[in-house]
Amino acid sequence: MGTVLAGRGKGNAMTQALWSLFWITVFPGFLFTFSLGLLATWVVRKVSALVQWRVGPPVLQPFYDVAKLLGKEILVPEDAQRIVFIAAPLVGMAGTLLLSTILWRVAVAQSAFVGDVIVVIYLMVLPSLALILGSSASANPYAAIGASREMKLVMGYELPLVLALVVVIVKTGGQLNLAAIAQQTPVYSISGMLAFLVSLLCIQAKLGFVPFDMAESETEIASGVLMEYSGALLAVWKVMHALMLVALPLFLITVFLGGFGTTGCPLAWSIGKYVLVLVLVILIKNTNPRVRIDQAMKFFWVYCGIALVLAVVLAAIGSYYDINWL
Amino acid sequence: MTQEELNNKLSGIKDKVTKIDKMSETRIYLYCESENSYAVNKFLFEEVPLRFVIATGIDSDDCFEVLYHYSDDETGCIVTAKAFIRDRENPIIESIAPFLPGADWAERETHDVLGIEFKNHPDMRRLILSDDWPEGVYPLRKDAEKPGKRLGGDPAKRPVDQAKCPARRTIRLSKPIVPIGPSHPLQEEMEYFQLSVEGEIVTDIDMRLSYNHRGIEKISESLQFDQVPFLISRICGICSASHPLAYVQAVEELAGVTPPERALYVRTIINELERIHSHVLWLGLAGHFIGYDTVFMWAWKYREPILDLLEEITGNRNNYGNVKIGGCREDIPNELKPRILKDMDETERKMDMLIKAVLDDPVLHVRLKGVGILTKADAIRYAVTGPTARASGLPIDVRRDDPYATYADLNWNVITRPEGDVFAKAVVRLLEVLESIKIIRQAVEKLPDGPIAVEVKEIPAGEAVGRVEAPRGETFHYVRSDGGNRPVRHKVRAPSYVNVPSFKASCIGESIPDVTITLAAVDPCYSCTERLAVADKNSRITHDYEALLRLSRDETDRIREEIGSQHLKLEDS
Repeated sequence: MGTVLAGRGKGNAMTQALWSLFWITVFPGFLFTFSLGLLATWVVRKVSALVQWRVGPPVLQPFYDVAKLLGKEILVPEDAQRIVFIAAPLVGMAGTLLLSTILWRVAVAQSAFVGDVIVVIYLMVLPSLALILGSSASANPYAAIGASREMKLVMGYELPLVLALVVVIVKTGGQLNLAAIAQQTPVYSISGMLAFLVSLLCIQAKLGFVPFDMAESETEIASGVLMEYSGALLAVWKVMHALMLVALPLFLITVFLGGFGTTGCPLAWSIGKYVLVLVLVILIKNTNPRVRIDQAMKFFWVYCGIALVLAVVLAAIGSYYDINWL
Repeated sequence: MTQEELNNKLSGIKDKVTKIDKMSETRIYLYCESENSYAVNKFLFEEVPLRFVIATGIDSDDCFEVLYHYSDDETGCIVTAKAFIRDRENPIIESIAPFLPGADWAERETHDVLGIEFKNHPDMRRLILSDDWPEGVYPLRKDAEKPGKRLGGDPAKRPVDQAKCPARRTIRLSKPIVPIGPSHPLQEEMEYFQLSVEGEIVTDIDMRLSYNHRGIEKISESLQFDQVPFLISRICGICSASHPLAYVQAVEELAGVTPPERALYVRTIINELERIHSHVLWLGLAGHFIGYDTVFMWAWKYREPILDLLEEITGNRNNYGNVKIGGCREDIPNELKPRILKDMDETERKMDMLIKAVLDDPVLHVRLKGVGILTKADAIRYAVTGPTARASGLPIDVRRDDPYATYADLNWNVITRPEGDVFAKAVVRLLEVLESIKIIRQAVEKLPDGPIAVEVKEIPAGEAVGRVEAPRGETFHYVRSDGGNRPVRHKVRAPSYVNVPSFKASCIGESIPDVTITLAAVDPCYSCTERLAVADKNSRITHDYEALLRLSRDETDRIREEIGSQHLKLEDS
């Protein structure tokens, strides 16, 4: 379907622009990812509830929450940098939207460009960057602590994440094109598996879930980075998080698990992959305490770093001697 | 130390004291004048040495008395140094806080409520009185107005302007701070911890309490002896068996009453059930505080059957109101025995599983070991009690050291750990749950037949102390009677009152996430630590007792109507 849609717009510049708009706003852009993200939020809450012997919320609860927040007053602290404070969540959300659109276009239309892996890595930092900016602009001591922790956390997980991607690029024979990478399944090898597991933990940290929720850590710094946000701006953060819940697992699927097929049997298989990643994330979230920021950095740099350097070497040896399982 | 050795040692201070009074083998009073109090206390704490419990002030008409209670945990003996301050106009006594930081709060509180100056005290800011409380009005002095009326007379004369307030409570802001409180997700109640930080490292901690001071000691003086247990059980919902029991034991000691054996067994069972539900509650909260919500939910689910059992026995999940002077109010029916035993088996099975899961979790080890260490020396200096002390290697437990109820007849162990960190505190509490289950099983099997109470008519003049090992540590009650039907002084020392100040020793130098879990690790109970009407910021009372009662009854009626329950008319008593 996707190729047809993309192909049809070629002749007319106007039509093509309209199609692009449709791509970004409706399918598979904002509206679709937003709905799916809120559904994923519900899955996270419901599965957590079941693990914790609770009943959990109804399916539409995340929609109600966002709708309610949209109707609430927005309070901007007197000392805050107004423009940055208000712009940060919007920038974060826009970045995440762009990220998910690029990934969906790879899945739906196989449309990609050389080097989009690099673009995706940059876009994935944007939400954290926006959080750091927004919380620093809010002039709150808790938010300042949260921002500094988020900053350290980003520095912590970016290195292993990039190394994990190096593993994939080596495994796929130097591909820098997501659509080409998605044709292969690096996870069926030792180095690919290692890279996948570490990336999963990096995703956990990007999502700000336990054990890496120290930037928010409710019981220490009272939701830290988000402390001063209220009303519609808080809703934007929530929506951004919902979009991330779609985009980040989709990224893992595209890069490690052989891509997200969208027709017939592969579609069911793809949904299975998505649920698998989501459930793994939820289970890690519910079976761990929050670690300290210094422990998280040590974990990512020392343990994950060493594991991935090993994985890169394995992958290089594997591709040099043509041993696929390494 | 045996009883004899203790007596010999105490005679070493003979020249400083005017009289040594032995009420009984294990209750010794030393009388001294205020000038000698410092020397006597230093002797008791450093030379003997004894564990400091609490200091109390009493207005006894012609003079002030300051009582310093100490405990010898090997003999179970309570040694009380009683210092008399003869000058009523200008009461001064030397502070013992410089060498005994555990007495810091006790002296500040005594200063607040009685106006006794403590010379050389390092920090004489207000502790429990609110900022706008007028200078020179001391609520526990006998010439203060009776409760019910506003103390301090004309509200218009109160210094409501913060700038004009006595500066003692103002908190100095020179370094970057992270406030934990007064309302903060870490706390279930109001309390303020001010952390001075450098980056994430906490360099100093200041505390401020009494956002919810209810004046229970003052109210207690206006109630009759048999009414007090109901008031006291409302000090804290969790320790609502321990506080009344400590009070009742003090009054029984005063009246020379021994309750029937069955009553003692009933008390043991209820108190141990309370310990189980309190420890499991803590485990859940501690899990929540470090972001481990699964532990939170599982622990609280396993706690529910214990509360059901307590409801079955006493009629309430908390605030049992079952203990009275001379025995118990409600019996445990013999038909309930199999159910209790069955529930204990069930709880033991579940707790075994939960304890294994928690204590074997490698991430929890990394997160909690070596965090917030309270050394044994600091534990003694700050006079901490309960699991907080036992996790720092101090083997003290009132149930064994000064046995009450039927603990002496039962077979159980005192759990101690030497490490002093948060993980050790968790281990101590979890293993104590298993010990409690053991105690309850034995008590239920041994439960003798017979009456559950004896009648007590007169409470003679005199003074006595009662203490109980509450879940958080030793709960200490001091009661003085003048032969009338109301206590003239009733002092309550809840365990958190000595455990909370120990943060000064355990938190400084740690990082913020470690400090927050350390704050929670003593299982602080603020309502216990603080012991009246809704007021606005200008201290005008907006709702008095009657109005609050009416509001709450209207609310109950509304809910009843909503859920379609029968309308029940509540009568004023």
